[in-house]
Amino acid sequence: MQNQPVVSVHEITKTYGKANEKQYQALKGITFDVQTGEFVGIMGASGSGKTTLLNILSTLDRPTSGTVAINGQDVTALKGDKLSDFRAKQVGFIFQDFNLLENLTARENIALPMALQNVSHSRQQQAVDKIAATLGIAAVLDHYPTELSGGQKQRVAAARALVQEPAILFGDEPTGALDSQSARELLNTMQGLNQQQGVSILLVTHDPFSASYAQRILFIKDGQIGQELRHGDKTQEEFYQEILDTLGTFQK
Amino acid sequence: MLRKLALGGIRARFRDYAVLFSGLVIASAVFYMFMALATNSAFLTANSPVSSTTIIFGFGEVLLIIITTVYIVYANTFLMSMRQRDYAMFMMLGAKSRKIAQLIFIETVSVGFLASVVGTLVGMGLTGVAGRILINMLHAPATHFSVFWGPAILATFGFFLAMFVVAAVINAIRLLKTPMLQLLHADTTPNRIRQKGWGLILEAVAAVILLGIGYVAMGQMMKIGLMAIGIALVTIVLGTYLLFNALLVALIDLLKRNHRFAARGLHTFTLSQLSFRIRDYTKILAVVAMLFALALGAITVGLGFQREIPERANELNAYDVVTIDAPASERAAATKLTGVMHAALYTQKVSGKTVYLNATEVNAHPLRLRVFEDNVAKLRQADAKTFAQLVQAGADTDMLVRPTDVGKGVVVLPAAQFAVQTGTTHIIRTYVVRDFIGNYDTIKTMATAQTKRFKVNPMMQIGQKFYYYEILNGMYSGFAFMGFFLGIAFLAMLASTLMFKILSGASYDASRYLMLQKVGVRKGLLRRSIRQEIGALFFFPGLLGVVHVLFGLKMFDSLLAHPYGNLIVPFGIFLLLYAIYYGLTVWLYETIVIQKSLATD
Ligand SMILES: Nc1ncnc2c1ncn2[C@@H]1O[C@H](COP(=O)(O)OP(=O)(O)O)[C@@H](O)[C@H]1O
Ligand SMILES: [Mg+2]
Repeated sequence: MQNQPVVSVHEITKTYGKANEKQYQALKGITFDVQTGEFVGIMGASGSGKTTLLNILSTLDRPTSGTVAINGQDVTALKGDKLSDFRAKQVGFIFQDFNLLENLTARENIALPMALQNVSHSRQQQAVDKIAATLGIAAVLDHYPTELSGGQKQRVAAARALVQEPAILFGDEPTGALDSQSARELLNTMQGLNQQQGVSILLVTHDPFSASYAQRILFIKDGQIGQELRHGDKTQEEFYQEILDTLGTFQK
Repeated sequence: MLRKLALGGIRARFRDYAVLFSGLVIASAVFYMFMALATNSAFLTANSPVSSTTIIFGFGEVLLIIITTVYIVYANTFLMSMRQRDYAMFMMLGAKSRKIAQLIFIETVSVGFLASVVGTLVGMGLTGVAGRILINMLHAPATHFSVFWGPAILATFGFFLAMFVVAAVINAIRLLKTPMLQLLHADTTPNRIRQKGWGLILEAVAAVILLGIGYVAMGQMMKIGLMAIGIALVTIVLGTYLLFNALLVALIDLLKRNHRFAARGLHTFTLSQLSFRIRDYTKILAVVAMLFALALGAITVGLGFQREIPERANELNAYDVVTIDAPASERAAATKLTGVMHAALYTQKVSGKTVYLNATEVNAHPLRLRVFEDNVAKLRQADAKTFAQLVQAGADTDMLVRPTDVGKGVVVLPAAQFAVQTGTTHIIRTYVVRDFIGNYDTIKTMATAQTKRFKVNPMMQIGQKFYYYEILNGMYSGFAFMGFFLGIAFLAMLASTLMFKILSGASYDASRYLMLQKVGVRKGLLRRSIRQEIGALFFFPGLLGVVHVLFGLKMFDSLLAHPYGNLIVPFGIFLLLYAIYYGLTVWLYETIVIQKSLATD
């Protein structure tokens, strides 16, 4: 059990369009694992199938074939309330467009997943305060999303994703809507979470700089994994350069 | 180019426009329905035993104008919320603000114009259908009732057009004055509840006082006169609004502060949904409460009058039909009576100035006579012994004799004496049925055949219940007609207001519910949140509406014998309809905002 990967993807395919319609195969058999405590990046050009893959991993969509296991649980076998509960407890994710509820304050947004599990109010507040301190948003907890900057919004979204201490944090281009400064801060925070708290992270991005924070990068092209890079002992600059080089040849 | 963009915006948000448009169509249709009665003074005076009906309808007009204005303002806010982002975008792309103002003006006015054209047509259709059904159902003459009524057309058109021109001007000015950024994010800016505690208390106290004044005014209408309606109108409308404003804000705040409640499940979210646009909510809730009260009140009163007619006719004659010397054809008609509870046959001999009855027959089936004691009609059973006594006390026996024999003395003779009594013999048949109105057609056939046979003026057919009924119906059915007609109209507007309020927020809510699903909220929990949110929208106005009606019925004390009698029927029917409508709304809303896919199925 000890070395069980936190995410285990086996031969998944995804075909859009019903049998009688025009069909499009977005994923053509993808297999990989993410180990506990790992920070993995997935890179690819626009339209290569990154979002499709992530939606399947984060249980928002189902693969046409293949299996996805998170913490040993085959999520493709889950349905209805079991699936909702699994999402609420085991999966955390942050999206490019934040996905915060604008009628709730930051605090209420972050506490929501715990409220759903009927955690007591005081424990909710403790957890919110703790994660908010880690992510540096303690001062803006009582603001509504419209009163926050993009970077703050994404931190609130991250706090909401992490407050339940999920098995893994998924991010679909979380820095996509941020300026470079906020993006850098968010990435540093994510790296901190990964290194100090041991949070497993799977980050989808088309931005080489974001990807250079990962320990391992999978390159996806036309719905297939084409190549894999490891951070290893390289500095971030070296790794970044390596990513750029790989992209240069890979995307041809 | 700009025109193309504007039209494109409409196409993109077709469903929202459909909601907006159908809401306005119903509003103007109901406006027309009301005006078709209110502006038709010939109809009002001909169909009401009360001279002040025209004035009462005048107050009704004021109330309807207030309600419709709130509705239009709300619709207009909705229109603007749909458009302002587009307009802001046009402005960012370099469109001149004058051009934009022009565009807004044209768009707002044309929406209003189109809605009132279609609405007036729909209103005529509804007026025709509802009118026809009610006239048949109530056997109401409804003289001067007119489906195409010029003044009502003018009033509806004039009012809606004027409102929309004003709205258009306000829209244009507001849009030009609001900073662009705010326009771009207007629909995502929450209302923070920033009211001080004592302000809320003040509002609540004022609301209770105002409602109290209104209720007392309605109760004391006999003393105060028609002004009571005016007072009640102002105080109750204001009181309703303030009460919702104060109570709703306070209630949401209280629940949010109650951590044990708020911290569970989706409670915080549901409460925030409610408080998100609290100002809109309170106005709409007040309107819903008023419409609820009007619809329920109108139907209750209409039913009251409708019930009153056979009840009063019954007080005047205990028999539903009495035939004298009925030929085979009339006896055949009598076999069609349903729910016959009592039927009897009496032989009668007329000699000189006296009509004789046989004691054996009278004892076998005691006569049912009405005697007024202390102004209340009492039903008395007369056998041979008590008959003379009851006649002495004023019991009416006219229905038991031929029209030509009215005024002669009626005497019950012992069987032996009756057998030897000389005189012309007549056969009297009496019938009592369970439901007079259910047998209306049969009874009418029998009564008119007899009138023809005796060659008398219908009104000379003294004592026949059918003619009492017709006279009373002539007096009261007009009121019953107005009650049901307006009840239907207000009910339509109530339904439309609720539907409009709920669907107008659906597009924005859909994205919120999608997010919740992504975060892992169970569908059952989402459904519950929706049921609670919409439930609050239905429950609070319904509750206050019922209270309004209970106090308002006091106004009909002088017109109805029992304004509070049998309330269970109108209230029951109405609440059942309301509950069904609630279920329908929830279902419709759920299908819009809850995503079927997201892999949970
Ligand atoms: N719901 C869908 N229906 C049909 N095709 C889709 C759908 N979603 C994505 N696609 C297609 O699948 C491919 C991969 O899309 P996506 O996963 O969004 O790529 P990426 O996130 O890498 O830009 C694209 O060609 C896209 O057009
Ligand atoms: Mg994508």
